[in-house]
Amino acid sequence: MIKISSFFILFLCVSALQAQTKKGDVLIKNGTVITITDGTLENTDVLVRNGKIDRIGKNLKTPNGVEEVDATGKFVMPGIIDAHSHIAGTSINEGTSQVTAEVSMEDVVDPLDVSIYRALAGGVTSIHLMHGSANVIGGQNETLKLRWGSTNPEDLRFEGAPRTIKFALGENPTRGGRSRGIQPQSRMGVEAMLRNTFNDAIKYRDAWNAYRSNKSSRKVAPEYSLRMETMVDILEGEVLVHCHSYRADEIYMLMKVFSDFGIKRLTFQHANEAYKVAPELAEFGASASVFADWWAYKLEVYYSTAYNAAILTENGVTTSINSDSGELIRHLFHEAAKTQKYGDLSDNQALALITLNPAKQLGIDNRVGSLEKGKDADIAIFDNHPLSIYAVPQMTFVDGVKYFDIENDVADQRIYIDPESTVEDVQILYANDHDRCMEDANVVNFTDLFNNK
Amino acid sequence: MKLIRKTFFRLLFVLPLIGFMSNTHAQSDPTGESPATRTYAITNATIVQSPGKVMEEGTIVITDGLITAIGKNVNIPSNAEVLDGTDMFIYPGFIDGMSNTGADRPQSPERPDNLFTPDPPNSYAGITPEHQVIEQIKVDENSIEAMRKVGFTVSHTVPYGRMLPGSGALILLRDADHPDKLILSEGSSLYSQFSGAPGAYPGNTLGIMAKFRDLYKNAELSKNHSELYASNPSGISRPTRDRVSEAFYPVIDKQQPIFYNASNSLEARRAMRLQKELRFNLVLGNLQEGWDLADEIKSSGTKVFMSLELPKEPKNSKEDDKSDEVKQLEERRMEFYKKYVSQYADLQKAGIKFGFSSIDSRSNQLKDNLLTIIENGLSEDEALAALTTNAADLLGISDITGTLDEGKIGNLIVSKGAYFDKESQIKYVFVDGDKYEYDLKTGARKTEDGAASPANMEAVIGSWSYEFTTPQGTQTGKMVFKNESGILTGVMSSNDGTPDVDLQNISFLNSELTFDFSIDAGGQSVDIVVEGVIDGKNYDAEASVAAFNFTFPIQATKDEA
Repeated sequence: MIKISSFFILFLCVSALQAQTKKGDVLIKNGTVITITDGTLENTDVLVRNGKIDRIGKNLKTPNGVEEVDATGKFVMPGIIDAHSHIAGTSINEGTSQVTAEVSMEDVVDPLDVSIYRALAGGVTSIHLMHGSANVIGGQNETLKLRWGSTNPEDLRFEGAPRTIKFALGENPTRGGRSRGIQPQSRMGVEAMLRNTFNDAIKYRDAWNAYRSNKSSRKVAPEYSLRMETMVDILEGEVLVHCHSYRADEIYMLMKVFSDFGIKRLTFQHANEAYKVAPELAEFGASASVFADWWAYKLEVYYSTAYNAAILTENGVTTSINSDSGELIRHLFHEAAKTQKYGDLSDNQALALITLNPAKQLGIDNRVGSLEKGKDADIAIFDNHPLSIYAVPQMTFVDGVKYFDIENDVADQRIYIDPESTVEDVQILYANDHDRCMEDANVVNFTDLFNNK
Repeated sequence: MKLIRKTFFRLLFVLPLIGFMSNTHAQSDPTGESPATRTYAITNATIVQSPGKVMEEGTIVITDGLITAIGKNVNIPSNAEVLDGTDMFIYPGFIDGMSNTGADRPQSPERPDNLFTPDPPNSYAGITPEHQVIEQIKVDENSIEAMRKVGFTVSHTVPYGRMLPGSGALILLRDADHPDKLILSEGSSLYSQFSGAPGAYPGNTLGIMAKFRDLYKNAELSKNHSELYASNPSGISRPTRDRVSEAFYPVIDKQQPIFYNASNSLEARRAMRLQKELRFNLVLGNLQEGWDLADEIKSSGTKVFMSLELPKEPKNSKEDDKSDEVKQLEERRMEFYKKYVSQYADLQKAGIKFGFSSIDSRSNQLKDNLLTIIENGLSEDEALAALTTNAADLLGISDITGTLDEGKIGNLIVSKGAYFDKESQIKYVFVDGDKYEYDLKTGARKTEDGAASPANMEAVIGSWSYEFTTPQGTQTGKMVFKNESGILTGVMSSNDGTPDVDLQNISFLNSELTFDFSIDAGGQSVDIVVEGVIDGKNYDAEASVAAFNFTFPIQATKDEA
């Protein structure tokens, strides 16, 4: 009886927690609906009830009290998902140790970071807030929904998303090792460290399993280690690994290590040479999250190609394009479009790189990544086709709640303001100013130039 | 040895000049100034026994450290020193919920040779919960007198350090010849902060949160193991001594709260997150951004000591041709200033009974800040409650202090004029029944303060031009030191337009001037400690940044007056 009532209380608490985030109702009318999973539907409505997609169809009736959004001539697509981001975190690296599986980005989520709003203004609805790449086994990442405006980090959590963790290979962790005079100082050391740590985790699991199965009332617990607890969870498939990597040899190395330890869910981040081992990745079932056309910023990433995403896609590797940047995150749709120039991907393939595929890599594709009945109403509306260079995001919804509207785009989006900060005239580009490079030319107003008039 | 002795005697000579002015009491006083009696009667005063409970023309008698009588017609013992309380207001002595008062900041632990950064020694990692603050308390710490003269009689003093510096104690802000005599109670808290070890684990919030969970969980296991062994050791492996784990035992038993220094809202939420997971008793100390936290604080049963530090009121630009954008930015900045200063009243309305913590504030600003908080909605009674009854409740000492009642400790403030009047001045502070007397200013011009200040302070007071060079380049600017009622204060401004910073913990003794300040480095507060010697018009010092294990020289020359 006691058990039942405490379960009931627990249930109430959990429901209360889930009820905290806002859920919206909206009918988006008469748009071109890019579903990703079910083609592109012209003149179609999307009805959102209580944060979920309720119906997709033509001429849907507007239920009582539900706001209508006219999307005539506009493009409605799933909210963009960035599988590699470092916005909205107050710390990124616990770089003092080469294995920090115990730390978690969920402890340092910063809901006040104005980059969140900028990402929303680029049609992004979810990010994978990642630990940095200073260590071989870095911290756990946190998948977020960009519910801008809350001051509570909990409100941004993608509730129910699987846990993920950051690994890193190559120059970054070995540089840290060398500068501190600790392991690993070479790529060989990285592999050894991975294997040693997994073997330690197996021993740790055995010790705790023996303790748990011991029926004695006078048993003594082994030492607890949050680090090893996480490593055990990785071995048991409860934590998905996202690994910073560049070179084909190290990518192949990690697949071998994971095969040896029976770990299946693996996404390579950056992976600039992944195209060289694309069939091997496909066979393993590993994913890749890459840049569209960025490399040569250090030696190990000297060699790459803008065809990377397309080659991986055509080889059957679940591939996404990420930003790793607070700036690039605002136009991931441009980044996806580059795969049409470099690799001739179809519209649907290109857009899947920033929607459904990152959702799969994060284990949230049952909830987001496409427009389907029953999925979360995380939606972006564009004025042109999102793969057009003229596309400008118009509105962004998370759980059916509108967090960005270009028609109501308040300039000062800061949530907390330091009263001791200095106020300076912001000098970026004034609507009334002509750009100096066009001075006296009087051809066209600079703003109008960008408005395509 | 000889040298030490010499310095010590000089110290004895100088100390009474610095901040112990007019103090007629000292317990083992070689000068023979011990008081003739420890019985006092203050007559004909307005006695605020507790917030809202006021007695006009009352008399209070203090005998041997305790309040022994209070009322309109009380017998004044024949051996009492009688003090005329006409125009005087008497309040319970204030209680500081979290501070470093009385503690001497120890040197930062030196980086060990061949430091293994993933697993540094606990002393370097800052994981020393087994330490007691009394190890850092010095009876001649300037902060004791500085806080007492603004009305504080009891401080919950926590140790300096990093992540887990040790346990705090309640101390009486009295003069004594040994730190033991200041102690009201020990083990009042296990003190915790979000301060990482420079270049070693845990280095920042990520590692600190994880390490805290790890330590706590292992302490629980260690406690179970020890209890099992103690009940019957036969067949059980002998637990190894682990003082870090043992320090958590009273926390696990809920006999000791964890005091978390959580100044901003995200830190406060992180501390509450740990509390929710591990279920210890949590007190947030030094909270500066609480306006969005009322619900969480209430639902989690967290206790709170609000910071007495306030941001400076923003000054809007006086230029006529301000752009609309600048006007809007200034408005929003002001809107947030208002949140800082009015959150106290809002939290009070939300039903949160908080106390105050002075840990990030300067003693000579406390009253101004209290008045600002009152101007922004907190009633005087509520402010007094936060300073006395609430704090006593939260610290579990309301049976011995916090109100003026017979039988309680003789901790009280005698103020000329109602304390919360801007012009009021403290005439006496009684701590543990001992009288500390202060000169009332007679409304004369402030410049006379300088004349009354100790002669040796003059070497510091004034404007200095400083210069230092870091890898980022050479920085120049001004430091201005002032004597504010016998306390050295200072402000540092920079020629590159960075906002001014207040200098903290300024001390000047035997030509050695030390102070510290914090700067904002990309969202992270970095503490810089400056230590050096004044020789005439030259100040030659070294600044150290513990967070980066980095020192650099800093020089200053005194400007012509």
